[in-house]
Amino acid sequence: MFSFSVLAQVFVDGIGLSAIYILIALGFTLLFGIMRVVNFAHGAFAMLGGYALYFLYGNAGLPYLVAAPLAALIVATAALVLERLVYRFFYQKMFQSMIGLLGLDMAIMYLAVIAWNAEERSVPPGTDALMHVGTLVFPEQKLIIAGIAAVALLAFFLFTHYSRYGLAMRAASQDVDIAEAQGVNSTSIYRLAFFIAIFMAALAGGFYAQTYALSPFAGEPQLMIAFVVVILGGMGSIPGVALGGLLLGFANSFLGTFYGSATSIFVSFGAVILLLIVRPWGLLGTREA
Amino acid sequence: MSKQSTIDSGALHQGIGPRKLGERPARRWLTHPAVLAVVVLALIALPLVAPDKFILSVAVTTFITAIAAASLHLIVRTGHVSLGHAAFMGIGAYVSAIATMQMNLAFPLALTLGFLAPAALAFLIGPVVLRLTGKYFVLVTFLLGEIVRTVFVNWSSVTGGSSGISGVPAPSSLFAQPVPFYYLALAFVMVILAFIGRLLTSEIGRTIESIRESEPLARCSGVPVLSTKVAVFVLGCGLAGIAGALQGHFVHYIDPTSFSVDQSLNLVVINVVGGMYTLIGPIVGTLFIVLLPEFLRGYVELQHVFFGIVLIIVMAFFSGGIADIRTLFTRLSQERDTRRGTR
Amino acid sequence: MRKRKFGTIATRALCAGAICAVALSAHAQEVMKIGVIASLSGGGTAWGLGLERGVQIAADQINEQGGLKLAGKTYKLQVVPYDDQYNAAQAKTAADRLVNRDDVKVIFGPVGSPGAMGSLPVTQPAKVIQFVDGYAPAILKNEWKGAYVFRINNSTLEFSEPIVDWLKKTYPNAKKVGMIAPNDATGQAGVPILATAYKNKGFDVWTEHYERGTKEFTPLVLRMMAQNVDVFDLNANAPGEAGLLVKQARQVGYKGLIVQSGGAGIDELIAIAGPLANNMMKYDVIDESLPRVQPFVALYHKKYNGVMNGLAPVYYNAANIYFEAMRRADSTDSTKIRDQIEKLGGNYDAPIFGKVVWTGEKNYGVNHQLLHTFVIKEVQNGKATVKAVITP
Repeated sequence: MFSFSVLAQVFVDGIGLSAIYILIALGFTLLFGIMRVVNFAHGAFAMLGGYALYFLYGNAGLPYLVAAPLAALIVATAALVLERLVYRFFYQKMFQSMIGLLGLDMAIMYLAVIAWNAEERSVPPGTDALMHVGTLVFPEQKLIIAGIAAVALLAFFLFTHYSRYGLAMRAASQDVDIAEAQGVNSTSIYRLAFFIAIFMAALAGGFYAQTYALSPFAGEPQLMIAFVVVILGGMGSIPGVALGGLLLGFANSFLGTFYGSATSIFVSFGAVILLLIVRPWGLLGTREA
Repeated sequence: MSKQSTIDSGALHQGIGPRKLGERPARRWLTHPAVLAVVVLALIALPLVAPDKFILSVAVTTFITAIAAASLHLIVRTGHVSLGHAAFMGIGAYVSAIATMQMNLAFPLALTLGFLAPAALAFLIGPVVLRLTGKYFVLVTFLLGEIVRTVFVNWSSVTGGSSGISGVPAPSSLFAQPVPFYYLALAFVMVILAFIGRLLTSEIGRTIESIRESEPLARCSGVPVLSTKVAVFVLGCGLAGIAGALQGHFVHYIDPTSFSVDQSLNLVVINVVGGMYTLIGPIVGTLFIVLLPEFLRGYVELQHVFFGIVLIIVMAFFSGGIADIRTLFTRLSQERDTRRGTR
Repeated sequence: MRKRKFGTIATRALCAGAICAVALSAHAQEVMKIGVIASLSGGGTAWGLGLERGVQIAADQINEQGGLKLAGKTYKLQVVPYDDQYNAAQAKTAADRLVNRDDVKVIFGPVGSPGAMGSLPVTQPAKVIQFVDGYAPAILKNEWKGAYVFRINNSTLEFSEPIVDWLKKTYPNAKKVGMIAPNDATGQAGVPILATAYKNKGFDVWTEHYERGTKEFTPLVLRMMAQNVDVFDLNANAPGEAGLLVKQARQVGYKGLIVQSGGAGIDELIAIAGPLANNMMKYDVIDESLPRVQPFVALYHKKYNGVMNGLAPVYYNAANIYFEAMRRADSTDSTKIRDQIEKLGGNYDAPIFGKVVWTGEKNYGVNHQLLHTFVIKEVQNGKATVKAVITP
C-alpha cells in the first residue's frame, strides 16, 4: 500500500486539492481580515460563480479563458448591490455578521433552487485531457487550477503589500479611524475589498463546479473548506491561507487514501478543535485584542 | 458610522451586540401574572376546544422545541452561542430510548438518564471550550456536534447507525394517546420555562448577565466566571437532553439526521430572531419558526428565502430580536431624524 | 338614465351567474385528496420532486378523463404535497396533517428511511395506505405487520442476487469487487446485502464508507485501487455522487469495470461524468425505448423541464396501481382498497413495470414488496442502451 507510485499519486492529488482549497479560502479571509465580517454567504457566491460559468461556458460556449473571469466579474458586480443593501450593516460586527449573512446564504440558495431547480449539473472542464507521467495520472484541468492558485496567492500578496489600495486596505483593517484620519476613504476601500473577495469566491466556485458538480447546494462544502483553511492558517492572513490550504489538502489526500474517510474526518476535525482551543488565531494569524 | 463601529467592537461587548447599559428590553407586561395565567389556561383548554390530532401534534412539537430553545437560551445569556445544541438533544434521545427499550427502565428513570448523559458530556468539555470567545466557541461547538453525530452514525451496534432506532415506546400506555401526551408535554414545558425564568431573574441570573456584559469586569468583582459558565452549560445541555428524549418518545423513531447541524441552527435562529436577551425571545422565536412553515406549506423554497431575509433584517437592525422590536422603531426614527438633520 | 342602465346590467349579471351556478352544480365533483410526503428542500429535493411529479402526472391523466368514478360518485383528484426535509420529525408532522386535517386515504412517499419511519406510526394505526421508497427492512417488518404500507421499488434484497448472477455470467474473469458507499441508511443497509450476494458467488469483496456530502473521492478510490479490484460497484450511491465517483476513478487511472447495482435514473450520472462514463454498466428501472414507457416519458418532458428523476416513473407506476385497486374495490374504504392492491398480483399490467408481482413474505412477513423487472444499461457517448433485461 505504501509503495512509491501510490505515495506519488497521493502527493499529486494533494497538490490538486490544496490548490482548490486555497482559491476557495482567499476571498473568505480577505473579507474577514479587512472588514471583520464572517462571510457565511461565501458559499452562495461560489455557487453563483459556478452557475455563471455554466451559462457562459457550458451553454453559450464562450472560450474558456474569457468565460471564467467574465463569470466571476458578473457575480462580483451583481454582488455590489448586496454590499450596499446588506453587508454595510455588518462591518466590524462579527457576531451579527455571522447570523445575518447566514440568512443571506439561505435566501440566495433557495432563490437559486427556484430559478434553476435542485438537480445536479455538470460544467465541462477547460480541458478533458489526462496527463500521464509514469504511473501517475491526473487531469490537466487540475494543473490549470494549481497554476491559477499560485498566481492568485502571489498577486494577493503583492497587492496588499505594495499597491496603494492594498496598503490602504491593510491600514483600514488595523484601525479604521486612524486610516480615515490619514485620508483613506473607508467606504470605497471596503467596497473594493468586497469586490475582490467575491470575485475570488465566484472564480473558485467555477473551478469547483467543473471539478465536482453544480447544484444550488454546491456552496455549502466550499464554506466549510474556507472555514477550516482559514482557521488553520489564521483569519486575515494570506500566507495563512496558503499554509492552511496545503495542510488540509495533503492531510485529506494522505489520510483518506491510507486510512479511509472516517479517520480523515476525525483527524481534521480534531486538529481544528485542538487549534481553536490552544491557538484560536491560527498558525499564522495575529492574536486579537 | 465609524464612530459607532469602534464602540461596538470594544472590549465591553463581547461580540454579542451593542447594548446601552441600563436598558432592559424585557417586556414586563408580557410576564405579568395575569397574562401568564390566561396563556396557561388557554393551553390547558386547547384539547377540549380543538381535539384535532394535527393541532395537538403541532402543539407538542412546539413545546419540545421551546424546551430546547429555552435551554440554549440559558447558554446564550452567558454570551456563548452553541451551534451543537441538537447533538445534546440527540444524546438524551438515544440514552432514553436505549434505557426504555433495552434496559427496560421506567420512563421517569430513563428521562433522568436522558438529562444526566448530555449534562455529563457538557461537564467534561465545558471547562475547556467555555474559555473560548464568540466566533471560536460557535465553531468548536459546531465541530463537536458533528463529531457526536458521526458517533451516532458509526456506532451501529448501540445506536442502530443511520437506520436509527424505531419503535421507541410512548412513556406508558396512557401517554400513547395524543391528548394525555399533550398534557405531559405541556407540563414539562411549563415547569422548565418557569424554572429557567426564575433562575434568570434571581441572583444567579444577574451573575450570568454580568458575565455576558463583561467577563473581565465580572471576574474583578469576584464572580467565579468559569464555574458559573460551566454550571449553566451543564444545565442547558441536560435540559436539551430532556427535550430530545421527549421527541424520541413522541415520534417513536430517532436517527442521526434528526439531531444534526440543521436542527442546531434552527435553535440558534429561534433565539436570535426571537430575542437573545429575554426568555420571551425563544418562546416568540419558537412560535415563529414552528408555526410559519405550517402556513407556508406548499411554498417551501419561498419559506426559506423569507427566513433568510428575516434573519438579515433582524441582525442588521434590531439584534435584540422580535422581543426587542421597540429598538427597531427607535432606530428607524433615529435614522429619519439624522437624515432630516435634527440630530 | 345611468342608474337604469346599471340596474339592467346588474340584473343580467345576476341571472347569468345563477344559471352558471346551476350548471356547475349539476357537474359538481367531490375532491379527493391524494397525500404526498417528499423531501422538497435540501439535498434530497430531486427525489422528492420526482416522486411528486410522477403522482401528479397520474392524477392529471385521470382528471382529464373526467375524474375517478367510484360507487356512483365522481372524484376530482387533488395532490397535496408536504415537505419532510428528509427528516423523521417533519415527516410525522406532515403525516399528522395529511391524515387528520386533509383526511387523505393514501400517502405516496416519503423517500428514504427517516421519513418513512417517522410517518408510519401515524398512518398505520389510522389505516392510511402508504407507498414508500426506502431500504430499511423495518418499513415492512414492523409492529403493524406492514398492513397498510407497500414498497414499490426493488430494494437491495430483491435485485442483488440477480445482478450478481448476471455479472458472473457476463464477466467470468472478475474476481474482486470494491464498493464505496455513503454511510447513510441506504448505504448501511444495502452494502452488507450486496456484499453477501457477491461472496455467495465466490467474489472477494472490499467495502468503504464515506460521509454523505463528500465530493472528493480520489483518496478513497486510490485506496480501493491498491486492493486490485476488477469491479467497482457503486451500489446505492445517489446519482450526483455516483457520477463523481465514476469521473474521479477514471481520472486517477482506474481501468477496471465500473458497475452500479442500484439507484434509479441514469441521466444525472451521465451529465456529471461525461465521456468518462463510457463502458460503465448500470441498473435502471425503466427502458425508455419500450413503447409502453415512452408515453410517460413524453408526458413528463412536456410538463416539466430538466432531467427526469428516476423516481418519477416508479411513482407513476405506483399511483396507477392504487387507482386501479380503487376502481376494483369500487369504494373509498382503505381496507378494501388494500385487499384489492394485494389481489392485483398477477392480475394487472401496470404502465411502467408491467405485470404486478408482490413478494416479501419470506423476508418481511408480508407480501407488500413490489418485484419488478429491471434492466442493465451500458453507457456510451452520453447515451444509455439496454444490455440486459432481468426478471428476478
